[in-house]
Amino acid sequence: MPEHKPDVYINDEGLCNLCVTYDIMKKLEDNKKPLETDFIKILNKYKGKQKYDCLVMCSGGKDSTSSLYYMKKRYKLNPLAFTFDHGFEKEEAMENIRNAVDLLEVDFLFFKSTYMKEMFSKIFTSGSKAVVCHPCSIWYMDLAFDVAARYDIPLIVAGWTKGQSTNQGVMSKCGCNIHAPEFKAMAQSTIDFLITELSDMPKYKGFPKSMEEVLKRANKKHKSMVISPHWFLPFGPEVYVETIKKELKWKAPDLSYPGGSTNCLLNFISVYNSVKYFGYTHYHVEASKMIREGYLSREEAMKQLEINFDKKLLNSVAEKLNYHFD
Amino acid sequence: MNILGISCYYHDSAACLVKDGVVVAAVQEERFNRIKNSSDFPRNAINYCVQAGNISFSEIDYVAFYEKTYLKFSRVIFDHIHSFPFSYVNFLQSIPQWLQDRLILPLILKKEMGFEGKTVFIKHHLAHASSSYLVSPFEEAALLIADGVGEYATTSYGYAKGRDIKIHQEIHYPDSLGLLYSTLTAFLGFKANSGEGTTMALASFGKPVYLDKFHEMIDVKDDGSFRMNPKYFGFNKGKFMYSRHFIKLFGEPRKQGAEYDERHKDIAASLQLFVEQTLIKIVHYLHRETGSTNLCVAGGVFLNCVANQKILEQTAFNRIFIQPGAGDAGSSIGAAMYLYNCILDNPRQYILEHAYLGPGYSEEQIRRSVLNKNLKYTEYTEEELLPKVAGLIHNMKTVGWFQGRLEFGPRALGNRSILANATNVEMVNVLNARIKHREWFRPFAPIVPEERANEYFEMINMSPFMLLAPKVKEHTRTLLPAITHVDDTARVQTVIKEHNPKLHQLLLEYEKLSGVPVIINTSFNLQGEPIVNTPDEAIRDYLNSGMDCLVLGNILLEKE
Repeated sequence: MPEHKPDVYINDEGLCNLCVTYDIMKKLEDNKKPLETDFIKILNKYKGKQKYDCLVMCSGGKDSTSSLYYMKKRYKLNPLAFTFDHGFEKEEAMENIRNAVDLLEVDFLFFKSTYMKEMFSKIFTSGSKAVVCHPCSIWYMDLAFDVAARYDIPLIVAGWTKGQSTNQGVMSKCGCNIHAPEFKAMAQSTIDFLITELSDMPKYKGFPKSMEEVLKRANKKHKSMVISPHWFLPFGPEVYVETIKKELKWKAPDLSYPGGSTNCLLNFISVYNSVKYFGYTHYHVEASKMIREGYLSREEAMKQLEINFDKKLLNSVAEKLNYHFD
Repeated sequence: MNILGISCYYHDSAACLVKDGVVVAAVQEERFNRIKNSSDFPRNAINYCVQAGNISFSEIDYVAFYEKTYLKFSRVIFDHIHSFPFSYVNFLQSIPQWLQDRLILPLILKKEMGFEGKTVFIKHHLAHASSSYLVSPFEEAALLIADGVGEYATTSYGYAKGRDIKIHQEIHYPDSLGLLYSTLTAFLGFKANSGEGTTMALASFGKPVYLDKFHEMIDVKDDGSFRMNPKYFGFNKGKFMYSRHFIKLFGEPRKQGAEYDERHKDIAASLQLFVEQTLIKIVHYLHRETGSTNLCVAGGVFLNCVANQKILEQTAFNRIFIQPGAGDAGSSIGAAMYLYNCILDNPRQYILEHAYLGPGYSEEQIRRSVLNKNLKYTEYTEEELLPKVAGLIHNMKTVGWFQGRLEFGPRALGNRSILANATNVEMVNVLNARIKHREWFRPFAPIVPEERANEYFEMINMSPFMLLAPKVKEHTRTLLPAITHVDDTARVQTVIKEHNPKLHQLLLEYEKLSGVPVIINTSFNLQGEPIVNTPDEAIRDYLNSGMDCLVLGNILLEKE
C-alpha cells in the first residue's frame, strides 16, 4: 500500500495503521482460521432443501471455476452456475465456463446485457474517480440475488479468495468492507458518482447506490447467504489451478490483471484509473491481506501486481465506450 | 479406502487418517487448539488429516472410534450408582456431557463434518492393542494393555498372530495401575493425566520405603493380577482420587508448588517400583502363556519409559514395540487399523517406523512467517546450516529446531525440539531457567544416531520414540552429565538416518566438535503449553523465552 495514501500512517516501528489494526483484529479473533468443516456445517444446513443447493457465480477465472468444481465434486451439491456478460468479458473466460458446466454437467444460466454500458461510459467521460468495478459488482450481486430468489436458492457461492474478507460479518457484505480505511476513498467516489451522475440518466433510476442497499433489498425478497469455499479450504490456487486444468480443461488467459487472474477487459481501465486516482487498486488491498495471512510473500504480490498492459490496450476497450486515453 | 480414526472426550483427543491401510496423517487436537491434553472433539485434527490425505470429506469411507461409548456409559452409570450419594456431584457434571456428545457421536460427526457413513466403535483396549501390534514389525506378539480405564478393562493381556488379535484376560475398573499412578500423581501435587512423567522423574530421587504400604492397599497375585482395596481410593466419590484412609497411610498430600521432602520422593519411588514389579509379574505370566518373545504394549502406563526398560531387561521378551502415541491419542490409529485389517479383512502392510505424521510447512511458508515478524534471518543451504548449528550447540547456545512434519504423540522427536549441549551439566539449569521452567529433578533426554547408541547407552532395543530409559554406559556418564539422570539412566531417542536424515547429520556434525554424537532434545514448548505446531508459534516461543537461536527449515534466527 502506498504510504502517501491519506488514510495510511506509518508508525515508529515502520508499520502502517492497516497492519496494526489487522494485528489487533487477529488477536481479538483468537487467531482461529476458518476450517473446512465450518463450511460443511453451513452447506449441510441448506443441502437438499431446494432444487438447486447453491448458485455459483462464475467468471471463468480460476477462483470461481474451482468454486463450481468444489460445490459439485467435493461437496456433492447441485449447483446452478450463473454467468453474466456486460459486453466486456473475454472469450477465454467464456470458454472456461462452457467447459466447466459441460464437464460437470451442471445447469447453467447465462445473462448477457448491454444495460451497464452507458454507466461505464459516463464514469470515464465525466472524469469521476469512481471505480468501474464497484457499480458492476453492485449490479451483478443484485442480479445474483434476483436469480437466487427466482429459483429459491439459499446459498450464493462466489470465488472470493482469502485476500477478501473472511470475517463473517463482512462476508455478507459480499467480500469487502467499504468502511475500512483502505477502501473508504474508493467507495466514497463510487457512491458520489452513483448519487450525482446517475440522477439525469432515467435508465438507472432505482439502481442501488451501494452494496448495502443491494443486500437490504435482497433480504426483503429472499434471504440468501453469500459465501466462498476458498475462505475455508486449507489450500490455495497452487492446488486448485492444477485440479481445474486437469478436470475442467481450464486455461489461464494470455493477458489479465493481476497476473494469473481472469478479469474482464474493463478491469484494465479500472486498474489504470485506480492507480491514477488513489495510487493503488483493490487488488493491492487483497494482496496485502494475503501477505499478512502468510499466503503470499511481498515479492510474489508485487510481481502479480506489476502493470502489464499499455494504453493501446486501454484504448481498444475505451473506444467501445466512446472514450479515449491520451 | 479411507478410514478416519478418532479418539476424544476424555483426554489427548486426536485424529488419524488411514488410507488403504497406511497411516498418512495423525495429530493431537491440542497442537491446534493450544489446550494441553485437550479432550475436545478433534475438529482441527480431522480437518488436517483430510487435507494431508489429499481427499475430501465425502471420500471418508468409515469413522473408527476408539471405544464403545454405550459400554463405557454403562460402567459410568453403575459406578455412580455404586458410589451414591458420594458420586452425586460428579454425576451432575458428567451426565450432560455424555448426553450432548459422547452418546450421539454419529450425529456429532454429521453435524461437525457432514459424515453420514458408517461409524465403527472399537473396544478401547482392542484399539490400544491394535495401535501397537498392527503397526509393529511383528507377525505374532504377546499383548499387554494398561491404562486408567477404558470401558471396564484397565489391564488386558492377549496374543496376536497375523490379523487375529485376541484379548484373553482383563482386569476391570476400579483396579487400575493407570488410576493408581494418577492418584499418586495428584497426591504429590501434580496434575493427573499429564504430570505422571514428573512423578516418574521424582521417583529416582527416593527410596522405596513405602512399598509395603502399596502392598497393603493392593493385593497382587503371582500372575500379576491385582485387586485394589477401594477404601483407599475415591475415583468417583468426590473431589479427590484418594480417600482419608489413603492419607492416614501416606500422610498429608503435597500441595502444588510446595517443596519436595524425602517423603514425597520415597512415595514416588515406592509407587514406581510397585508398578514396575506388578507389570513384570504380568509380563512373566504373559510369556509363559503365549510363548512369544515379541511384546506389544499400549496404554498410558507405557509412556513410563523407566518401567518399559525394566520389562525389557527383566523378562524373557527379546523385542518390545511401543508406538509413539502409546496413550489415548494413539488409540485413534488403533481403532482405524483394527477396522481396516481385522474387521474389513485387509492384509497388514504398514509399519509405523516414525512419528512424523502431523502438519509440515514449506520453506516458503516459513520465510513468510519470519518476514511478517520483521525479523532478521540468514538462510543457509543444509550443508552450511548443520555445521553452523552444531557449533552453536557446542558453544552452549539453546537452539529451537523446527523441521518437517510435526511428531505424533507426547514426545518431541526432533522436528519440534529444543536442542542443547549434553556434555555440560550447566545446560540443565540454563534450559530450566531460560526456557522450560520445569521441576529441577526432571531429566533432559538425549538423542543419538541409532547405529551409535550402543557406544553410549546400554541398549537392548532401539528407542526411536523415546520410550525406553537404558543406563548410560559407565565410561560415558561423565561425558554426558546433562542427560544422565540420578539413577544413571537416560530417556534416549535413537535417530534413524532414513527417517530424519537432517537431525542424524546434525548429530554427526556435532560429534566433530564435541567428540560425542549426543545432544539434549527437549520438547519445543513453554511451560504448560502443548508442543508448537506452526512456524508462527515457534517464533513466538523463541521471542518469549530465553532461547538463543531458532532454526526453521534452513533459516536461522539468532538473538544478539
